[in-house]
Amino acid sequence: MKNANIFLSQFVLGLKLYLRKPAAMFWMTAFPVLMLLGLGTVFSGQSEPGIKLVWSAPQEAAGADFALQAALTELHVNVEALTPKQADLRWKSGKLPVMLETVGNGYHLRVNSYLAGQGMPVVALVQQGFLMVQARALGSGELARIPVQMESPGGHHDGPYAAFLLPGLLGLNLLMMGVFAVGMVDVELRVKGIYKRLATTPLPRHIYLSAQMLVRLVTVLFSATVLLSVGALVFDIHNQGSYVDLFVLIFLGTGCFASLGYLLASFASTVEASNGLANLVFMPLMMLSGVYFSLDAAPVWLQKTADLLPLTPILKSLRSVFNDGASLASQSASIMIIAVWTVLLFVSATRRFKWV
Amino acid sequence: MTSMAIEVNQLVKSFGAVQAVRGLNLQVQRGEVFGLLGPNGAGKTTSLEMLEGLVQPDSGSIHILGLDWRVHGQEIRQRIGVQFQSTQLDEKIKVREVLDMVSKYYAKTRPVPELLKMLQLEEKADAYQSKLSGGQRQRLALGLALVNDPELVFLDEPTTGLDPQARQRFWDLVRLLKSEGRTVLITTHYMDEAEALCDRIGIMDHGQILQLGTPRELIAGLNQPSYAELEFAGMAPDAASFSQQAGLPVDVKNQYWVIALHDPKRDLQQILACVEALNLPMQQLHVRRASLEDVFLQRTGRSLRE
Repeated sequence: MKNANIFLSQFVLGLKLYLRKPAAMFWMTAFPVLMLLGLGTVFSGQSEPGIKLVWSAPQEAAGADFALQAALTELHVNVEALTPKQADLRWKSGKLPVMLETVGNGYHLRVNSYLAGQGMPVVALVQQGFLMVQARALGSGELARIPVQMESPGGHHDGPYAAFLLPGLLGLNLLMMGVFAVGMVDVELRVKGIYKRLATTPLPRHIYLSAQMLVRLVTVLFSATVLLSVGALVFDIHNQGSYVDLFVLIFLGTGCFASLGYLLASFASTVEASNGLANLVFMPLMMLSGVYFSLDAAPVWLQKTADLLPLTPILKSLRSVFNDGASLASQSASIMIIAVWTVLLFVSATRRFKWV
Repeated sequence: MTSMAIEVNQLVKSFGAVQAVRGLNLQVQRGEVFGLLGPNGAGKTTSLEMLEGLVQPDSGSIHILGLDWRVHGQEIRQRIGVQFQSTQLDEKIKVREVLDMVSKYYAKTRPVPELLKMLQLEEKADAYQSKLSGGQRQRLALGLALVNDPELVFLDEPTTGLDPQARQRFWDLVRLLKSEGRTVLITTHYMDEAEALCDRIGIMDHGQILQLGTPRELIAGLNQPSYAELEFAGMAPDAASFSQQAGLPVDVKNQYWVIALHDPKRDLQQILACVEALNLPMQQLHVRRASLEDVFLQRTGRSLRE
């Protein structure tokens, strides 16, 4: 009873202290929301339909290419016609992934080697358009098309990029909570001697730490709620699965990444060192786990490695539940990986944890 | 109440190759204010942290209020109070909040309003602790050590960095603790503080207690009741010829000489005669009684604040 009372007071106080620090609130809540608004809008594919292509052609040749122009329009390529002089300036600005040039009676495609990933798909479209022009010139009539349908991998949702991004940001929030809000704060409390003071009192340590954990869980849930609301209001994307399943995943993730935070903290003896260490772990996990984009184009060994990192299975399950309405039972493989990580991290963090 | 407040036997602690504490023996009576003095690196902090249960000794025994840390840790924590040299708290926590919170950890507590009154922090009760002055913050830190109405209080250099007025105020609080029958173990860098507050003092260096006694006993043990200090215009001159002529050893400091007086009447006449004979530019002559600082210098060979 006494312990329950301490637990509750410690939890309420921890929550109050968190609310009194707007900077911490901003990072944990506003940062993911801004990412969703920013990236979700830029990559929505709605504000600028189709694909842009700069076409450099001499004045006298302009207008002579109705056939290719028409074929490209059919393929949803937006052509911007420029004189060679203008086009050259644009090319040298370095922002164009690809440029089509009329050279004499033929064509030429220039691809920016830095942006080949963006340029090559456009090249394929232009080539296809040119084939269509040639086929029509040979009089082979109207060409058949393979039907296309846009849908999410689970088939339950046809949301925009923001729908892919939102569950990713839910996972990112867990990672941030672990390495920054738990890891760096833990080092600070130790370095400042706040833990040392607690260690001279009869406060049971597990009570203190579990109250801290509950504060983290509540703040993560708060951030998640805000993120889900913004997703629903701004992008009209909604959870296709069960909220209970989402909660269970966030709960598991909190345990996993809080343990990671405590483990990291045990390796740092100064706040500066903990900052470096946090970023050292945060950056690769964020980049490799597919928060912002799919890792499909990466080498296979890198994908296999990323699959074993703790964030990847959480993101996979969050996306399956949120976007495809999958049940938790179907996520048992991912949940197993998360559970193994949690046990490993928790046991090592408990062993290495230092009060003084 | 038959047991000692603190009883320590042959305490040893090493960190790697460094022996921080080498065979510490200490007994502190209940109701006593005991001062632990020593230069930096003497092993004071390590000793204190072992007494507070924060550091495990390599060997030796510690009994706090008759209880052994290894067996009765939680009970000892209920009955002691600890103030560190600098107590850092969350900057956004309020004075009353932190006292309330820490009160919840203990079975027996003093009412928080009473503590606030005693610490003269009533007006600051709802302020963030980061808005307190240095003296107020140290009083709050003391308050945190007193919420459980402790029988034994550890104070680690509690007045370091405080202005003279704030120190006096803090001393009054320590005297109040003594009058309430509590035992206090205090470490300090300030000799005047030790003389003003402590019933007994232990001088510590190289991980051991070198000398133990009341301030009067320690000073009397020097057999050096008083000192003459001679000040000069500018730097103190070389003392070789003076020392030879007067037959008195001189401790030459930057700005002045210190001469131990064994027979004040004869020695002072001798000093003045020699100053006259050698025509030294002496400007001031002070005679003072021996202090703890002199005891400390003699025992450790260094000044306390080095």
